Amino acid sequence: MSRASNFPPPFSSADYVTEPTDPADERIEVGVLVVGAGPAGLACAIRLGQLIEQNPEVAERLGDVPVAVIEKGKQPGSHLLSGAVVNPRALRRLLGERFRMEDLPSFGPVPGESVYVLTRRAALPIPPPPPMRNHGNWIFSLSQLGRFLGERAEEGGAVILPETSAQKLLVSHGRVVGVRTGDKGRGREGGELGNFEAGSDLVAKVTVLAEGTQGHLTGVAIDRFGLRGEDPQVWELGVKEVWKVAKPLDRIIHTMGWPLRAGGKYREFGGSFIYPMGKDMVTIGLVVGLDYRDASLSVHDLLQELKTHPKIRKILAGGERVQWGAKTIPSGGFHALPSRLHAPGLLLCGDGAGMVNIPRLKGVHYAIESGRLAAEAAFRALQRGATPATALSSYDDAVRGSFIWDDLYEVRNMRQVFGRGFFVGGALASAMTMSKGRVEVGKLPAEPDADQPLLVTDRDKSYPAPDGALVFDKLSSVFASGNKTRDDQPNHIRLERRVPSDVAQLWAHMCPAQVYEVGADEGDGTVRVEVAPSNCVQCGAITAKGGRLTPPEGGSGPEYSLT
Amino acid sequence: MPTLVFLEHHGGELQKGSLGVLAKAASLGDAAAVIAGPGASALAGEAGRYGAAKVWACEDEQVAQAVPQPRVDVLAQVVADGGYDTVLFANSVLAADVAAGLAARLDAGLNWDLTGIEFQDGELVGKRPALQDSVYADVGWTGTPRLALFRAGSFDATPTGGGDPETTGISPAYRPYSTAVKLVGQDAEAASGPSIEDADVIVAGGRGLGAPESFTLAEELAKALGGAVGATRAVVDAGWYPYSAQIGQTGKTVSPKLYVALGVSGAIQHKVGMQSSGTIVAINKDPNAPIFEFSDLGVVGDVHEIAPKLTELVRQRKR
Repeated sequence: MSRASNFPPPFSSADYVTEPTDPADERIEVGVLVVGAGPAGLACAIRLGQLIEQNPEVAERLGDVPVAVIEKGKQPGSHLLSGAVVNPRALRRLLGERFRMEDLPSFGPVPGESVYVLTRRAALPIPPPPPMRNHGNWIFSLSQLGRFLGERAEEGGAVILPETSAQKLLVSHGRVVGVRTGDKGRGREGGELGNFEAGSDLVAKVTVLAEGTQGHLTGVAIDRFGLRGEDPQVWELGVKEVWKVAKPLDRIIHTMGWPLRAGGKYREFGGSFIYPMGKDMVTIGLVVGLDYRDASLSVHDLLQELKTHPKIRKILAGGERVQWGAKTIPSGGFHALPSRLHAPGLLLCGDGAGMVNIPRLKGVHYAIESGRLAAEAAFRALQRGATPATALSSYDDAVRGSFIWDDLYEVRNMRQVFGRGFFVGGALASAMTMSKGRVEVGKLPAEPDADQPLLVTDRDKSYPAPDGALVFDKLSSVFASGNKTRDDQPNHIRLERRVPSDVAQLWAHMCPAQVYEVGADEGDGTVRVEVAPSNCVQCGAITAKGGRLTPPEGGSGPEYSLT
Repeated sequence: MPTLVFLEHHGGELQKGSLGVLAKAASLGDAAAVIAGPGASALAGEAGRYGAAKVWACEDEQVAQAVPQPRVDVLAQVVADGGYDTVLFANSVLAADVAAGLAARLDAGLNWDLTGIEFQDGELVGKRPALQDSVYADVGWTGTPRLALFRAGSFDATPTGGGDPETTGISPAYRPYSTAVKLVGQDAEAASGPSIEDADVIVAGGRGLGAPESFTLAEELAKALGGAVGATRAVVDAGWYPYSAQIGQTGKTVSPKLYVALGVSGAIQHKVGMQSSGTIVAINKDPNAPIFEFSDLGVVGDVHEIAPKLTELVRQRKR
């Protein structure tokens, strides 16, 4: 019975912290540098644009590029994936008078909702538990919303640099002074190819890390500045598909139960969502907590199995899968938030900082709100005569005073409760929400996902066989993510390559993109793990379960457009 | 629709891909061709056989090197002199640059990566694969000239039986920046046999071969058939065969007349690189391998037993 955490990856945060190395005249200087063109980062850039517009004298001091956003995907939205039923409050506040919700690229307000408890053949409707009620929320493709917000940020004067990965944190005299971007055009063994292009030092007065789930430099910064929260962060893995369907779906659906197993020893916590995307599309996804124990569990294949349920098969009948994607969701909640959301020269936002409300299945509006608040703090730090440290620490105060904090506090012990088994946990979680967090079940110990002792069942034998129509294999799914990453680039995944067979099986089954395969038996109780890094869709599950993802060459990975 | 096709030539031979585009253009209406580079006039007859009624030949020193900008000058001049409203290109490194340059020069619309073109109700409509080739979008142009770049292997280069075309020499005024680029050197990767892009027969090996040594099975069969050897990503990843032979989404796109797949499972990433091949023959021991869904002839069996026998039979037949 192994634990993945006993086989740590060859990775040290310290390798990703450096002084600026480019000669001073070759550094690229910007005012505020935002890492990540997601809802948090783009909200930050949009808000900064608004503030600068109102205070042109500040812009002058910020140089040619007052606000820059770097994004590792092909364009804003390429790496964005979510449900997404979004609480509109943060968007309304950010865009104010400029846009009505109707002007945004959405699929309209939630038209109605159902919750089912599934068994293999039946679906038992239950009244939506209070946290899952979605009246007044709007359905979005987060990828499309990202593109829209990217355009708004550019209109406000921000410069977006796509296909640019943030590889290292630039720290000078104990203060973050920007990031170093990743090299491009390196070969598999690291050698320079004909199109080699070295990364550069992007130097900024304030750096905002809005990298999303499993943020690479967010993790580095948390180590470097000792920002780890009370509990370790834990994650869930979501895999979803977008379907073109023959008949419209008239409500959003959440399911619990099958195909997950209820037995406490499995620790299988999760559920599915099925949302309409206008008249002719539907998105279906399955989310499972990565504290599960069964090495043969594959969220990708459980989603395939879920689609064979009679109730769901009917929704997809006559349809066609048009896109696929996967992403982790930080689920540690309140107790896993970083101890501080700022460090000298640095602010942390959104999913990267773990701002997700798991019982409500919401995070996008926290990301947007935190980005907006980060912009205001960064702007304060740039005022003439401001004390940067005080200005940046005002961001923590602003987040504590916002609905982000209140909401996350209310459900603070929900996640641990589920460890007691789904149905008991579900009831307790409902009680906690209904009482606005006043039911005190006591804080339970939390452990990292990779610490769970593994068991191996034959669960994988019962996954349905791919038919290329309803049920797909992983490689077809990777294809449907738009991923066409260059194969001959250096491996961006840090992983112990010789591990006991149960750990290797865990990785092989867990990865929805077939990056890992169980290789040859080494004869000493370990096997070799074969890695195909170009399949990677950068979901981040490997970091939760004992490896460490770093950003690949900019422009690699999926090209989501509907997720 | 007076149409102009850019013909690319290297080593005194017109590229098969651009001749395919020319043949297609001729099937739609009047087609002319432009050939730029030393020896251009000598190739006019060949262009005529593939449907060019007229050939514009530029023999200038400025187009001796395979660089794009001087060719943009030539094409811009020909479009103006000949009054062409449509200019077609077959994708290559050079043609893609020339097409983009011409689009910028003429402020014209360029449809990229097309796999087909036809008239629909009098309008020219291009076929463009989208969403990883899972759907085809109809694309058009809002103005003229209409520029289009076709994916490799979109059309067969079949002679149309045309005669000698009218040939006109052309020598445009070159922009100073067009001739500022000097080609310092050119290296060709050493390869034996035909390159996989041009080969009529490809024998591809996948992980089903079991070991790198087994690639000799593919090499022997390719040699017997007079073809080239291709490889799947999995075996290139594993270091069994060089990347230059990789066929698929992140490798090369090929469309030989005959494609023999040895131990290839047929993942969609591979399929999109070879699905337009003429006849697809697959040998695989897994009867559920996806490749059997799109092969013309599928053999379920051990490739190590079948391939050598097949090679022997081909050799005997050729004797």
